[in-house]
Amino acid sequence: MNRTLRLLRSAGAVWWRDFVAWRKFWRSSILLNFGEPLTNLLALGVGLGAYVAVMQGVSFLQFIAPGLLAVTAMNAVTFDAGFETYDKLNSSGVYAAMLTSPLTVPEIVLGEYLWEATRAILYGAVFFVVILAFGLVHSWWSLLLPVPLILFGVLFTAPALYVAAVARTHEQLFYYFSLVITPMFMFSGVFFPVAHLPWIVQDIIYILPLYHGVLLTRAMVLGQMTPSIVWQFVWLILYAAVLAYLPVRALARRLTT
Amino acid sequence: MREEFPQRAGNAYPQGLCKELVAVAPDLDLASRPSASAEDVIVARGLEKTYTDVRAVRGVDFTIRRGECFAFLGPNGAGKSSTIRMLSCLSPLSGGELTVLGHKADIGERRIKERLGIVSQDDNVDPDLSLMENLLVYARYFSMPAEEARQHAEELLTFMQLEGRSKAAVRELSGGMRRRLVIARALMHHPDILVLDEPTTGLDPQARLLVWGAVQQLKAQGVTIVLTTHYMDEAERLADRLVVMDHGRILQEDAPRPLIERTVGREAVEIWHRGGDDAPFIAAAGDALLLSDRHGDTLVLYAGEPGRIGQAFARSGIAPERMLVRPTNLEDVFLTLTGRDLRE
Repeated sequence: MNRTLRLLRSAGAVWWRDFVAWRKFWRSSILLNFGEPLTNLLALGVGLGAYVAVMQGVSFLQFIAPGLLAVTAMNAVTFDAGFETYDKLNSSGVYAAMLTSPLTVPEIVLGEYLWEATRAILYGAVFFVVILAFGLVHSWWSLLLPVPLILFGVLFTAPALYVAAVARTHEQLFYYFSLVITPMFMFSGVFFPVAHLPWIVQDIIYILPLYHGVLLTRAMVLGQMTPSIVWQFVWLILYAAVLAYLPVRALARRLTT
Repeated sequence: MREEFPQRAGNAYPQGLCKELVAVAPDLDLASRPSASAEDVIVARGLEKTYTDVRAVRGVDFTIRRGECFAFLGPNGAGKSSTIRMLSCLSPLSGGELTVLGHKADIGERRIKERLGIVSQDDNVDPDLSLMENLLVYARYFSMPAEEARQHAEELLTFMQLEGRSKAAVRELSGGMRRRLVIARALMHHPDILVLDEPTTGLDPQARLLVWGAVQQLKAQGVTIVLTTHYMDEAERLADRLVVMDHGRILQEDAPRPLIERTVGREAVEIWHRGGDDAPFIAAAGDALLLSDRHGDTLVLYAGEPGRIGQAFARSGIAPERMLVRPTNLEDVFLTLTGRDLRE
């Protein structure tokens, strides 16, 4: 069998395992990943939005909705990749069992990227339906939203897998969530434009992948696609490419000593 | 099967069980390549495994032939599992050579893994999946066609006496059932070699019997069995040949019976006497004595031929108050070779 084909088949088998497991709990899983962004949308968008009249030419609710879609996808990917991977490594032995078959660590990692990309699209789509119902979608460009979400499936999964592989306890996973993911959520331009912040803060924010994801989803949903938006794409692709291999060595070290 | 329990180190073979297994799965073809020949399927030369600060395997040689059951025996930390992990391509070699089915063992060696069924020590069945899903998902890892996989999965669930539970959640299973499911899973792709790392540790007598019966039936179908265990009766019952390992080295290698007779003779005489002097007994046993060993209040005398120590005692007029005469077993070999110190 041709190498690429085999890689995809093996990764597909890993994807299938995750899908079969997810199928059992999909209702509660969607509800869990949906509650928080919906709360944010209503409490902040409608509640706080009553006091913040206009932000960058649109209503506050309109301003935060596309960004929250990006956040929904990021969280769906990050928490699943973090917790599930930690359990697959430390308690259930799912990865150890996979390695007794011809699957290899890079194939497993690729399979997880495929699965998390699927989740990003799925949970993003559910949130999309909500903002569509609120009348907050203004452009056919929205149909391209799966593209950044697929990239999320790699660039947010990779560090989560890495952290799960090196974490010794569940608590250490929370360090990543509360010290990296939550600040990123607050400062990536979801709730306010970053242009008024001190330049050094802006520079730091510019390094955060979610910032580019938020700009991209907002441009797509509002139909504000300008040529410079291409750079947000480039950033996301760059992040995905640079991070993709990060968890492979860490997982191999845990699984094949 | 329930009326016939194996006594410790007994020779009662679970006949009924095997018949039962054959009866429930008469046409089950578990081995893709039958017929045992003397072909060497696993060859290790100077095999070594070093972790950061531990030399777990220190240059071992062994050869496993097609169709036989080969056991690694040893206390905890002897290097059995490290050896098994290397030949399963789950752990890189630190030194020496290891060939499995004609291919050099190495991490991720697909050609080996495709033909190996691996039952690891921890029951790593997938807790999020049902029994049937566990088998079907695993078959996908081998790119097995779905229909073939489903049919074979059903056969295997029957073979391991898990039929009727195919939709049950793994979380509901007892320890014995989980182990049987892991074995069924390892057989999904018709492996040539079944690797069992302590397959009956923690199982109750019924479950042990079932696992033994399955292993014996697989062997009868030509599957090569590689086994690690620290249960002597298990090794004696299942293994054609075995090695005794300790501290990363192989101490002895042979078939169970010759190994027992060569090392500790055919009969053991256990004498309990508190704090007394062993010398009179040893002197009385005379040239009937092959070897003596003491642990706690028990003196064990080993004889090459049954009855000879008893005769020697009678001639010398020695009659110990509490004495047990029994056939030697692998446990005697094991304790003689590896000592009585506790291992962590």
